[in-house]
Amino acid sequence: MFDQLFDAALFESVIRAMVPILLAALGGMICERAGVFQIAMEGMMLAGAFAAMAGSYLAVSSGLGVVFGVTAGVLISLMLAFGTVSRQGDPIVLGIALNLMALGLTGFLLPQIFGVRGTFIDDRIDGLDRLPIPGLSEIPWIGPALFDQTILGYLAFLLVPAIWLVLFRTPLGLRLRGVGERPLAAESLGVSPTAYKYGAVIASGVLSGLAGTQLALGNLVLFAEGMSAGRGWVAVVAVMLGRAHPFAVFGASLLFAFAEGLGFRLQGNGLPVQITDALPFLVTLIALIAARKRFARLLDLTTGG
Amino acid sequence: MTRPLKILVLVLALAVVGAACGDSGDEAATTTAAPATTAAPTTTAAPTTTMAPEDPISLIYVSPNPLGVNNFLILGEVGTQRVAERRGGTWKTFESVDDSTRRANIEAAIDEAPDVIVLTTFTLVEMADEYSKANPDQKFIIIDACPDEPAPNLHCGVFREHEGAFLLGVMAGHLSEAKQIGSVVALDIPFFKRWWQSFAEGAQSVDPSIENSAVFIAGDNPFSDPARAKELALSLAAQGPDHIFAVGAGSNGGIFEAAQEAGFLSYGVDVNECPSAPGYIVDNNLKVVDAVVEQLLDQVLDGTAGPVVSFGLAEGGTGVMALQPGLADSQCVIADHPDIVEEVRAVAEGIIDGSIVVNDPLFG
Repeated sequence: MFDQLFDAALFESVIRAMVPILLAALGGMICERAGVFQIAMEGMMLAGAFAAMAGSYLAVSSGLGVVFGVTAGVLISLMLAFGTVSRQGDPIVLGIALNLMALGLTGFLLPQIFGVRGTFIDDRIDGLDRLPIPGLSEIPWIGPALFDQTILGYLAFLLVPAIWLVLFRTPLGLRLRGVGERPLAAESLGVSPTAYKYGAVIASGVLSGLAGTQLALGNLVLFAEGMSAGRGWVAVVAVMLGRAHPFAVFGASLLFAFAEGLGFRLQGNGLPVQITDALPFLVTLIALIAARKRFARLLDLTTGG
Repeated sequence: MTRPLKILVLVLALAVVGAACGDSGDEAATTTAAPATTAAPTTTAAPTTTMAPEDPISLIYVSPNPLGVNNFLILGEVGTQRVAERRGGTWKTFESVDDSTRRANIEAAIDEAPDVIVLTTFTLVEMADEYSKANPDQKFIIIDACPDEPAPNLHCGVFREHEGAFLLGVMAGHLSEAKQIGSVVALDIPFFKRWWQSFAEGAQSVDPSIENSAVFIAGDNPFSDPARAKELALSLAAQGPDHIFAVGAGSNGGIFEAAQEAGFLSYGVDVNECPSAPGYIVDNNLKVVDAVVEQLLDQVLDGTAGPVVSFGLAEGGTGVMALQPGLADSQCVIADHPDIVEEVRAVAEGIIDGSIVVNDPLFG
């Protein structure tokens, strides 16, 4: 039975499912560190997916798709930043409103621009090429999963240590965390909380836009209404479960993707969908309960206090 | 944190919730599919011909959404138009966009008191029930849905989807080399057994040793999560099936991408989906809406219609591309297998004359 459950294809599937979640979660994590509760990743991801598809279709170029996807994420993040930072609105209310706006707007624009409802598939949409790393991608099991990614897949992996370095080893990261933890103290030292919060929210817009781009041009080459399908919310939970620490957020994203991929396999082996569908949530619960203390200790060690 | 701003945001959010809910409702009911399908005349509305041989009839078609490129809704208009023109009468189409325009359109239609008001899809089923009971002298028909206890003046046209799915299974039974088939289905509810279970039954009628497995997309957005559907299809294909039925409405695009990557063959639903992955889709379980509207209208106008009329292969209400006139241009794989088309035709004739009985998984 385990032969059927674990194989190289499972790892590939898990990594594919993880990349969009990880990209969005890293953005949410930066916001969390800056003291902005970010739950608009779902909408940013969907808008990013739509814009990336549109850009790629109109210019027949995946490069322009990436630019469009990021732009859409940034536009929504600016609305969020203006509302929550400049006008001090409730980030939850605003986040939900932006998520719904993205769903409604992409659903409206799809028939207006492309003349279809539901799903848009076309040969003109230029998908992101996979860039296998010679040699490494031939390692059995992990090779095809890790070293045969799109450019955004590699970026997601590299961003994890990069963001850790910036957050915990640079003055920029120190100030960002200061703004999040003690805004008054930061301000008294001449650090502008507004500027840092804007920066964090825009960074999450870029990352969620990339997450949507990966979904519409990497994992798939099409756009479907509502195709983000809850991945932005999974990212929100990954930030919480990983306590806004880059490596822990990476672990949480991997855990969710693994639970989903394993769920698909178990379904193929005859387990009812009602059980496999609950698997990611069961895994989360178990992880929360069993590893809570160890997580805390680990975090204290790695963050250097 | 100002109070007016908060209220404004809340109102905005609620407004969008309303719009979004309306949207997703239609989504599930009308199963939108890929573009580029057969015959889609672009005429909208406009009453025509008043030749009036004897008693001129009038018909009004109220669509739950703009016709646009929605083939399902366009075919509803085609059927209405055909009856009006054949019998010599007038017809109109009222296109709706949301619940308030749906109500306004149905009320406007009732004011004009046509012979029959034509409604389509699950989206309008509650209004059909409500307005038919409030206006007992006005005749209504509704296609692809039915309230639990329809009023005597409301006639429902429903599909026997399992007959088309059975025919797809026959194709898979002949074509499958692995002798394993599967389905990727939106939800694990009894209704969808009409697709995946009948598909398996069809394949096993050809070769009883064929193994079947069904997996379900579920999750947050089962009808429009192509990424999830794709991974699920890839994972299913890794276990052996080489013919996989895509029963995921808006999620189908992901399954067809998986077919292209993993090299299995797939089957679509409702309309001809073959052009979205030429060479990888064998055929589709079609709903021939115009034929159903036309026949049900005739029955109602002649006073012979029952409360619920089901349409299958015999009535031309469901079908497969293999038996449609447009097969050659359909881009479906089955077009390259004329021998299997003949087999399928023989089975379809058997189902029509009753020599082959397809069980309805919903009732047995």
